[in-house]
Amino acid sequence: MPELRTPLLSVENLTIAFGGLVAVRDFSIAVAPGTIHALIGPNGAGKSTTFNCISRLYRPNAGRILFDGQDITRLPSSAMAGLGIARSFQNLELFNELTVYENILIGAHCHCGASLRDRLSARPPHLAAEIDRIIERTGLGAYRETKACNLDFGHQKLLELARALAIRPRLLLLDEPAAGLRNREIAILDGLLTDLARRDGLTILLVEHVMQLVMSISDRVTVLNFGTKIAEGTPQEVKSNPAVVEAYLGKETALHG
Amino acid sequence: MRFLAIAVAAAVLIALPLVTTGYVVYLANLLLTFTVLCLGMHIVIGETGQFSLAHAAFYGIGIYAAGIAGTTFGTPFPVSILIGGLAASAIGFVIGMVALRMRDIYLALATFAFGEAMQWVFLNWNAVTGGPNGLRIAPARLFGLELVTDKDAYPFVVATAIAMLVLTVIVARARLGRSFRAVRESEIAAQAMGVPVRRTKVVAFGISAFFAGIAGGMFTLFSTYIHPDSLGFQTTILVLTMVVVGGLGSIGGAVGGAIAFGLISELLRQAPSFQEIAYGAILIVFMMYAPKGLFAFLADRFRGARHA
Ligand SMILES: Nc1ncnc2c1ncn2[C@@H]1O[C@H](COP(=O)(O)OP(=O)(O)O)[C@@H](O)[C@H]1O
Ligand SMILES: [Mg+2]
Repeated sequence: MPELRTPLLSVENLTIAFGGLVAVRDFSIAVAPGTIHALIGPNGAGKSTTFNCISRLYRPNAGRILFDGQDITRLPSSAMAGLGIARSFQNLELFNELTVYENILIGAHCHCGASLRDRLSARPPHLAAEIDRIIERTGLGAYRETKACNLDFGHQKLLELARALAIRPRLLLLDEPAAGLRNREIAILDGLLTDLARRDGLTILLVEHVMQLVMSISDRVTVLNFGTKIAEGTPQEVKSNPAVVEAYLGKETALHG
Repeated sequence: MRFLAIAVAAAVLIALPLVTTGYVVYLANLLLTFTVLCLGMHIVIGETGQFSLAHAAFYGIGIYAAGIAGTTFGTPFPVSILIGGLAASAIGFVIGMVALRMRDIYLALATFAFGEAMQWVFLNWNAVTGGPNGLRIAPARLFGLELVTDKDAYPFVVATAIAMLVLTVIVARARLGRSFRAVRESEIAAQAMGVPVRRTKVVAFGISAFFAGIAGGMFTLFSTYIHPDSLGFQTTILVLTMVVVGGLGSIGGAVGGAIAFGLISELLRQAPSFQEIAYGAILIVFMMYAPKGLFAFLADRFRGARHA
């Protein structure tokens, strides 16, 4: 019963507005440790904005964000990696001119070691095995020395994930990781995310439009519409919730697809 | 290929003072000094992607600090050079902390303004810089050794340039260098990876100023005189042009650009009024048609021709 455990992440009464537009209003969510929690909703619902608040790129107008009991609402964005919060970006924020390997190595920025020798190393030896494993898990083995900008879109998405894993996250925030992927790639992602949560004990908050993925891997689903939470529950409960069907009206195929 | 380039460079550097006249050695000293200026510019703009239009000011700070240390206080020249570098980087860190709150065009303007202000200081702080009369620099000294001619100075100029090149490579390979490139490629992602973006930019700016200050110290090894006229915006633009011509973002490009463009600019010296227009034109043409620099452009052409 994951609901009874203290949440790893809890967002309390989050509100953020851009000018007159309230993008997220009084939104709360609690993500239990070791679970995959999906955040879904139509375009413009405020999902990415919520992510940007959690990863401290945006400053909320009201509300609190607690990670493992610690209030992180006022911490700088660059402190998140050190705490164990990693994210991927909906619109790809790769280090384009750098290789796959170097992208992942920068993900391990906080784990490069403190000795001068480690700090000066182009490829810190103590990270080699870990990075190899990440590369293998994300299926990037053939592209280690390829520049990120020369990868196809699917592999760029996977590189975003690989780089986030190098942070050694406890909480992984994934913003539409499956968008633009082919079915075969989605199947890999499905297996990988499940594995990360079940075997490695990672907690994943997932924004995703590919419902087949959401419904197959999520423990819990929260639905956002116009910045407000309209439903929350197991995938089955959410699927049959009339308010959700209403919000997705005309897009039911997406919900069941 | 890399080994061959190093071997050729070493042969040229060793043979140069043996087979040429004083003027050529003077030119070599100057080009090596500009190489170090370019390495500094490379770190801030090529690696970190930040504009700095104050390079000549830091160069000047290095020249005056090292020159005054050696001339007035008689410090041995390795110490003078270091003083030049440290003075420039100390001011660079402070300016960086202020200027790097801004970005893009605002950052460019702020650093430009600082450069102009420093040139005014050089011109008007008569007690220290000699103002418009310029400053006489005594020959560099180390214990009994005195560097009087360009050839005397040459080995030490070469050694300093090589040391700075090695330092550039070390920084580029280190975690710090990766942070620089992360900031250049995506500040948002760099932040999400735990890279403190503002601090990283300030460090890049400070190191870049350190390089410029060391270059200033190198200048005092073979020069007897400095005037503020040569420490203005056109010198910054010259360095920027060298780095762009060589190829932004590559150490080899910065070095190659300094040497190749330094030679061109020495030829253009005969027509000084034409010089600045020529730099501007070359800068624009390269940014439009060969943004990766002369050497990458030629390599592409060469490959294209072979495949055609
Ligand atoms: N930086 C911003 N400035 C102004 N408006 C923004 C900004 N970021 C998001 N918004 C607005 O907030 C709303 C929610 O956007 P977003 O969170 O991206 O939605 P989604 O659920 O599709 O990820 C949209 O109306 C969007 O235009
Ligand atoms: Mg979004």
